[in-house]
Amino acid sequence: MNTAVAKPSMQLLEGATAIAESAILAGCRFFAGYPISPFTPLLEHMSRALPENGGVCINAESEIEGANMALGAGATGAMAATGSCGQGLALMQETIAEAALNETPMVVFNLARNQQDYFQATRGGGWGDYRTIALAPKDIPEAVEHTQLLFHLSRRYRAPTLLYGDPLLAQTRVGVHLRRIEFDELPPQDWALDGTGGGTGESRQIWTWAMGKATNPGLGPDGHWQQVAAKFDRIAELEQRSEQRYAEDADTLVVSFGSAAKFIEHVVEELRAEGHRIGWFRPISLWPFPGPALAGATAGIKRVLVFELNAGQMLEDVRQYARDRDAIRFIGGVSIHESGLSYGPLLDAPEIRARILAAIAEDSTRSTS
Amino acid sequence: MTSARPAAPPAELQLLLIGIGGQGIQLIGKTLAQAATNTGKHAMLAADYGGEMRGGPSNASVVIGTEPLRSLPILPSATAAIVASHKFAGPVPQRLREGGLLLRNSSVVDSGAGREHHRVVEVPATAMATELGAPQASGFILLGAFNRLTGLVPEAELVTAMTALLPPYRAQHATKNAEALSAGAAAVAGQEAPR
Amino acid sequence: MTQELRIVPTDRPPADGKARKVADFRPSLMLGEHGLCPGCGEPVALRILLETLQDLGIVNNSIGVVGHGCYGSFVRIMDVDVLQCLHGRAPSCATGIKRMRPQTAVFTMQGDGDMVNEGLQEVLHTAARGENVTAILLNNGVFGDTGGQQTATTVLGQRTKTSIEGRDPGLHGHPIPVADLVASLDGVGYVARGAVGTAGSIARTKRMIRAAFESQLAGEGFSLVEILTMCPTGWFVGAPQGPDYLAESMEQVFPLGDLRARPKPSGAGA
Repeated sequence: MNTAVAKPSMQLLEGATAIAESAILAGCRFFAGYPISPFTPLLEHMSRALPENGGVCINAESEIEGANMALGAGATGAMAATGSCGQGLALMQETIAEAALNETPMVVFNLARNQQDYFQATRGGGWGDYRTIALAPKDIPEAVEHTQLLFHLSRRYRAPTLLYGDPLLAQTRVGVHLRRIEFDELPPQDWALDGTGGGTGESRQIWTWAMGKATNPGLGPDGHWQQVAAKFDRIAELEQRSEQRYAEDADTLVVSFGSAAKFIEHVVEELRAEGHRIGWFRPISLWPFPGPALAGATAGIKRVLVFELNAGQMLEDVRQYARDRDAIRFIGGVSIHESGLSYGPLLDAPEIRARILAAIAEDSTRSTS
Repeated sequence: MTSARPAAPPAELQLLLIGIGGQGIQLIGKTLAQAATNTGKHAMLAADYGGEMRGGPSNASVVIGTEPLRSLPILPSATAAIVASHKFAGPVPQRLREGGLLLRNSSVVDSGAGREHHRVVEVPATAMATELGAPQASGFILLGAFNRLTGLVPEAELVTAMTALLPPYRAQHATKNAEALSAGAAAVAGQEAPR
Repeated sequence: MTQELRIVPTDRPPADGKARKVADFRPSLMLGEHGLCPGCGEPVALRILLETLQDLGIVNNSIGVVGHGCYGSFVRIMDVDVLQCLHGRAPSCATGIKRMRPQTAVFTMQGDGDMVNEGLQEVLHTAARGENVTAILLNNGVFGDTGGQQTATTVLGQRTKTSIEGRDPGLHGHPIPVADLVASLDGVGYVARGAVGTAGSIARTKRMIRAAFESQLAGEGFSLVEILTMCPTGWFVGAPQGPDYLAESMEQVFPLGDLRARPKPSGAGA
């Protein structure tokens, strides 16, 4: 069995297993989830590996229960997580918002079926002025790193964080080096509930409304929610992550995220080798969206192609930040495997290549006519 | 913001495994990827299979290299293919690169298009497995043959990986599977690619 | 009992002018006065809950999980570590807390709307999992916080703002005896139903709460004390009429007493 002991050698692991092991290396001690494809193997592996590492995994009765169990565990200061795919995360939205507003750390794994959860990941469906740090790894080694980073960020900011994966990340097996990543030291968790506050007159409280105690009033909803909103403004400044290549001498820039970006990278390299002036840009953090970096990358670009496996969700963020909105062309689309559980034929290098070339050709026709 | 590394030319074996559920396609893919990992290589196994346990399409791709892999989990092209069943072999002719190795289970797969462009090797895997008294092991016959043709890993590594991967309720198949690997290798002796 | 009982009028202050508010007798764990309606039974339930934590010496080793209802405001006045959670989800949050802090006494405080309407799944599964936590249900048969609408425990015939002619089973279905459901499950250590309508029922209910926490501390599994509480505002009766109304309506449908006794400790007296 693959247990979470840092091994110098490479292990061939299914993505979901690698993510689970990475979570345990980060210190995750509580996991609760409800089976749904393609998230299920993460839950299965946690149910075996967490108890072996002094933790608890609960096969919850619903996504709502799983998320609230994780919230409860997180409220004690333990590293806690839950997960599902987008369909199950829909049920967790209230809890994710609640954890953001009452400042409980927890990590949420969306091992999604496709890229149709971009709005869900970046906008969310809960109430209130909250945001969720959402990272979209392009492959399994990066997902392993992001997993540990998300636990760290969740604690640093006392907020839920989200990994947005997909079937390729969940089900592909690759050789990975598992190791614990060390981050900056975190502030003490003096807010965590441990039961010792009772009778002191200063008992602790985790409450979205932050009313405090009669003897020690809190900020209340007005002051607290302003403070939470200001915290998310700060995160928006500090936690933007992105990657780009060839933007400086490109006419065409392709913007994509997650697994799709790995395909774009591949196709762009092919087209560069054939002499095309083309580059790519990849938001790694979907929220906060790396807007300023995209604005910089799109300066002087003739056409900005947006490729995502949905009807055009990230497209809205690209429109907000690309230097020239009129240069944007959408070349993605909805493409679903006949099982409904994974990507359809659009996520394929030859198909993507054809769409890029068609977009370039169309522009050339337009500019010469 | 980080900057990406430039692409390295692919020096990776990219293998398509095409079959139907029940032929053990996923298990032979795992066996090969695990054996390669155990010998210090980089490996990737991407599975793509239908919902049915038996009879539906069961495809996988295995990539093996000596450096960190750059291949996509959905291969746009491949350097080799093992076709265990004719039923879902559609993408092979387009995806398999010119000159690529095409290993066919000649018991069930008709000789078809592509022969002129590919290096075709035929092994009557289903018939051989039945003869061995292990009809479930036709996939291992093909894997044994493929490994001999390519010299990817020592055969003993395949046996070790396969044995470790079998779930407890299938452990009794280990001996026959190992025999199948050897039989497959023997069936293509002398057809190895010149090195 | 031959002693004659003196009737104390409770609908006006005593003639001797020495009246003191019940809040003046509050346990030290109550940090201030509650803001709930006159005649409400929930503050009484809170008082006996907090007194029990003190009696058992677990004040500084307890975590409460409070749901949404009038009693939610108790979070401000109870000197105990508390997670205020989403409507209906307290048993799930309590599960996460208890699993990470198994040495701590963990309890939920939920109303009937919270536990029986919104959170029926949570309480049943948490009980069946045998989570070693104590749930306190404050059951007044209406949504008090929102002004007296029908809940899943509203008794037949009771008028609420969403069953204005009285709860009619043909139109509104039947009340759910959640404590009886929980008592029928394996994984449960102790279940009882009490009330806070009279001095006697308050004393008996306090013993039930104590038994529930003792059951949790002994690791016997899930424990639940359902407490029938007065909601004169939501019932549209005067505050002094609350206890009688409780006895005549809810107590008839939800009989008081132990529904599942604690397992007999081997070789020791009860």
